[in-house]
Amino acid sequence: MSDKITDPVVLWQKMLGEMEKGFNSLANQALASPQFSKAMNQAGGVTAGAHKQLGDIMEKYFISMNMPSRSQMVGVAERLQTIEGQLNDIKLLLQEMQKQTGTMRPASAPARPPRTRQPPAASLPSGDKT
Amino acid sequence: MSAAPTLDLASIPDRIQSEVQRAILRSVKGVEYFASSGPALGSTPKDILSIRGTMRLYHYRPLADEIYRVPILIVMATTNRGYIMDMVPGQSFIEFLLKRGYDVYMLDWTAPKPEEQSLRMEDYVLDFIPHCLRLVQEDSGEQDVNVIGYCFGGVLSLLYASIHPDGPVRSLICFTTPIDFREMTLFQNFSDRRYFDVDRLVDAVGNVPPEMILSSFEMLRPASRAITQIQLWDNIWNDEYVKSYRMFDRWATDTLPLAGEYFRGITKDLMWDNKLFNGTMSVGGRGADLAKIKVPLLHAVAEHDHIVPYEAARHLIPMVGSSDKEEVILKGGHVSLVAGANAVKRLWPKLDSWLCGRST
Repeated sequence: MSDKITDPVVLWQKMLGEMEKGFNSLANQALASPQFSKAMNQAGGVTAGAHKQLGDIMEKYFISMNMPSRSQMVGVAERLQTIEGQLNDIKLLLQEMQKQTGTMRPASAPARPPRTRQPPAASLPSGDKT
Repeated sequence: MSAAPTLDLASIPDRIQSEVQRAILRSVKGVEYFASSGPALGSTPKDILSIRGTMRLYHYRPLADEIYRVPILIVMATTNRGYIMDMVPGQSFIEFLLKRGYDVYMLDWTAPKPEEQSLRMEDYVLDFIPHCLRLVQEDSGEQDVNVIGYCFGGVLSLLYASIHPDGPVRSLICFTTPIDFREMTLFQNFSDRRYFDVDRLVDAVGNVPPEMILSSFEMLRPASRAITQIQLWDNIWNDEYVKSYRMFDRWATDTLPLAGEYFRGITKDLMWDNKLFNGTMSVGGRGADLAKIKVPLLHAVAEHDHIVPYEAARHLIPMVGSSDKEEVILKGGHVSLVAGANAVKRLWPKLDSWLCGRST
């Protein structure tokens, strides 16, 4: 059996891990400096303002072109996800009904299991309970 | 004393053959990767109990024949989607809880709409959480509820529990929850009040864009994204690795925007004034003193958490007034503590053994 120290693949993976740690550590020192905070927030403030203005202009542009904006598309996507979820629920319900009756006839909603479960004896808390 | 490493010449041909096979597989799987979508996430069957703007309350369908009396409400962090708790079968925290006989509800979030930019901390702590707790009580028929809060969901849960010490919370579990925000050193620097004009930002953008939230997370480990891409290529022959990569990558980049006023409040009260740690926090004019929390409390923290370092989280246990309280430090990072293979063998069994005795 070969020793892992001589395995080039293991060495490569180890080197990557060390590189990641080294870069992150070095970068974190720079990122923790007040100079970085100042520069980042100056640039970020300008960018955020411009981003907002551009977003507003694009929103108006899409309205004037009678096209949906990104936020409207996100809204539609979320509604679609909800509909997909509900369809999935219906599918599962139908599958359950099929299992229960062997037909597609609707069955009553499954009853909730009883809330009577007890923990294994060894798991009871030993500390003070409030 | 260990022997010096030696090169086993006999194994070299096998190793070369294995690497050639992997190189071929990388090419084939690399094409497949771009032509296919990732695994379906968050697919444990559930019902929506309530939708109010950014808020969603789900009830997961029980998977056991007999369940514990006290239901669980999971409060998700407002920056990320709740499906981190429900990745894929076999790696789903929700599925694990259901199979162990718990009745599980989740308070999850979607992107706040522009008209929700005025949402404040009090909307989350004094409206959304109590609303969900009421619905959980009604739906389950039980007055007691166990609450699990992840990251900032833990902060929201603690604020709620400290303001409502007589409320329905029977016990509280926090995962990687920050208390001393001075110790989140990089976030502190990014939001340094000398240079960061939060009023200007919120007034300009309304809701804080997800790209900004994601960038601030990624800046904590700036080299990691590039290295992860290299590691992905290296392991692209391995279906399990790729599946796991896709799950976590999708979740990590699926960051939510934050409501503007809520972000302003977090920055001023927590990042700047550190009010939770100083004991001066209030929400909607109501004092939120952690010492008023008397219910059993478990705090699970990760040894290598780069988002909420241990120094920021360690104060929770000493500060709460509970007599039944415990902190567990587990191997892993901020995300691997709660999801993935690491969580399956470490956090989940620990949580089950702590919670089952407090769920009857």
